[in-house]
Amino acid sequence: MNTKNILSTVIRETGVAYALFDHRLQLTGSDFTSLPWFLPQGCPAEAGDIWTLFPELIGSEPLVDSLLAKRKKRFVLEKINKLGPDDRLYYADLQFMAHSFQQPASRGVLVLIFDRTSQVAAEQQLQQQYYELQLLRSRLASQPGFLSNAILGASPAVQEVRAFIERIANHNTTVLLQGETGTGKSLVARVIHNLSPRSAKPFVEINCAAIPDTLMESELFGYKKGAFTNAQSDKKGLIEEANGGTLFLDEIGEMPLSLQAKLLTFLEQKAFRSLGSTDEKRVDVRLIAATNRDLGRAVADNDFRQDLFYRINVVSCTLPPLREMDDDVLLLAEHFIELLHFEVNEKVTGLSPSARAKLLSWHWPGNVRELRNVIERAMIFARRDKIEASDLLLSLTPAPGGGDDFTLPATGFSLEEHERKLLEQALQHCRGVQSAAAARLGLSLDTFRYRIKKYDLNPRDYS
Amino acid sequence: MNISVYSKKICMLGTFGAGKTSLVRRFVHGIFEEKYLSTIGVHLSHKALSDSLTGIQFNLIIWDLAHIEKFTAATRNYFRGAAAAIIVLDLTRESSFAEKQIRIKEFIESNPEAALVFAGNKTDLLDSHEQAESELHAFAARWQAPAVLTSAKTGENVDSLFELVVAAMPEAKKR
Repeated sequence: MNTKNILSTVIRETGVAYALFDHRLQLTGSDFTSLPWFLPQGCPAEAGDIWTLFPELIGSEPLVDSLLAKRKKRFVLEKINKLGPDDRLYYADLQFMAHSFQQPASRGVLVLIFDRTSQVAAEQQLQQQYYELQLLRSRLASQPGFLSNAILGASPAVQEVRAFIERIANHNTTVLLQGETGTGKSLVARVIHNLSPRSAKPFVEINCAAIPDTLMESELFGYKKGAFTNAQSDKKGLIEEANGGTLFLDEIGEMPLSLQAKLLTFLEQKAFRSLGSTDEKRVDVRLIAATNRDLGRAVADNDFRQDLFYRINVVSCTLPPLREMDDDVLLLAEHFIELLHFEVNEKVTGLSPSARAKLLSWHWPGNVRELRNVIERAMIFARRDKIEASDLLLSLTPAPGGGDDFTLPATGFSLEEHERKLLEQALQHCRGVQSAAAARLGLSLDTFRYRIKKYDLNPRDYS
Repeated sequence: MNISVYSKKICMLGTFGAGKTSLVRRFVHGIFEEKYLSTIGVHLSHKALSDSLTGIQFNLIIWDLAHIEKFTAATRNYFRGAAAAIIVLDLTRESSFAEKQIRIKEFIESNPEAALVFAGNKTDLLDSHEQAESELHAFAARWQAPAVLTSAKTGENVDSLFELVVAAMPEAKKR
């Protein structure tokens, strides 16, 4: 077997094609046997110049010149995709190299074409799923209407929050959002902004607890060059960045007292001075503040300025903790399963009855944030298509009133009266659904049925 | 009479799902498919087009590029020698306006003389064009570039988009 035959065999077996061009960039040899799909339609492999066979080089003439002039050795174009005659997409890497095979004094160009179809097909599948998910998320996030729907839930507590948002979104009023950690204060602030006439303008969120006290003033109000040692150029503050839009101050209860005075002045006058500047800047922002602290108590403890409290507490809303949202916990859990379906585990499609009961019986000290984490963790470890109770790893924090801290009052206590009340409340909360009510009380269904029969309670009266 | 035909490389830039491939398919083949298929690497298409004012003929080599997650030497090679870029923005997603992800700066660094034209795509999904148009023009104004609202689905302004590109070529401007 001669060298040419050996080379041809190697080329075919390794899924490589080649094209050889002389110094005039005319084709002098090629082998496309293993990649016939690469040739442009109607273009024979044995004819043409480099521009006809490789239109990828059009615009890169100086680069080809530098190959011929020995200034450059090679040049690679990766993942060029071609539609084959069978309507399939094929992928190739092209390597353009200088050669002097024919005449040592004159260079030509050798193009090697490597088939990458199988590797890229796998990459494409993964990327497709990821981008589809991202597309869906970003499109939904860009639709103000969606955000209103994003506050999921059918419980009266959630409906009240929705009604509040709809009432105040169009006004310019300062809003104070209160509620335990993880109840979605930031989401509600975004919804208010997106439903307001300011929606096309910026929404700037600042977590007052996350910025060190020493940096907060410069972050909020900006600074002039030379205001302090490292101020090497002017910097706009976040308040100025929010001009025309909404400024969301999360954890406002953590703002240092010294800065509270400056914030109050800004809210009163709609104007401020950057650090190191004597010029007054006027901006138009709507303020939404949020806290999980009892600001009234903070005022009494001299931790929060009373005048600022009155200024921000024009309209306020307390977001309900998850434990007061009835069956909404299941609705939210299913929403998170849907949301995390592609990202975490495609197999998981829902909750088993035991998992539903376990979710309903938990008191959710970390609220919606905790629920999301619990679901995400469960989806990672779930072995079946439904999340089971055993997949749900709940925190070790005991439920309030869990038994350990109960003390018998000195005046006595009617166990039966309280048992009846608890059974009634569970039925009310769960609208007569016995399995859910049983789960709320940590009882098996049989025990629950036995007890409601004992007190002559009819679940239908609560549905 | 000797008629010159100028072959020009045009890069399609934009974040994933902005509609780059759909615009090219609509322009070159006159077709639109609802199904989203993410592009990997680059796909080349050709189409001849004349400048309406001068009659100069251009052979457009359209580089439909994948969303560029990471800018590398290999990616820079895609940009080499481009005469223009069409920057496609999805009007239904604010995130498609993320300047860094579109790689406009890197494109200009590779091709300082190249023309830029902005396409605000997916008008068929909008209730009103007014706000989208002002946002698109404000975005394009940062590069002093023309912009047009398009819909690959309905074909709205797709030909006009490529005509704008051709009109921005130095050969078309000279005469």
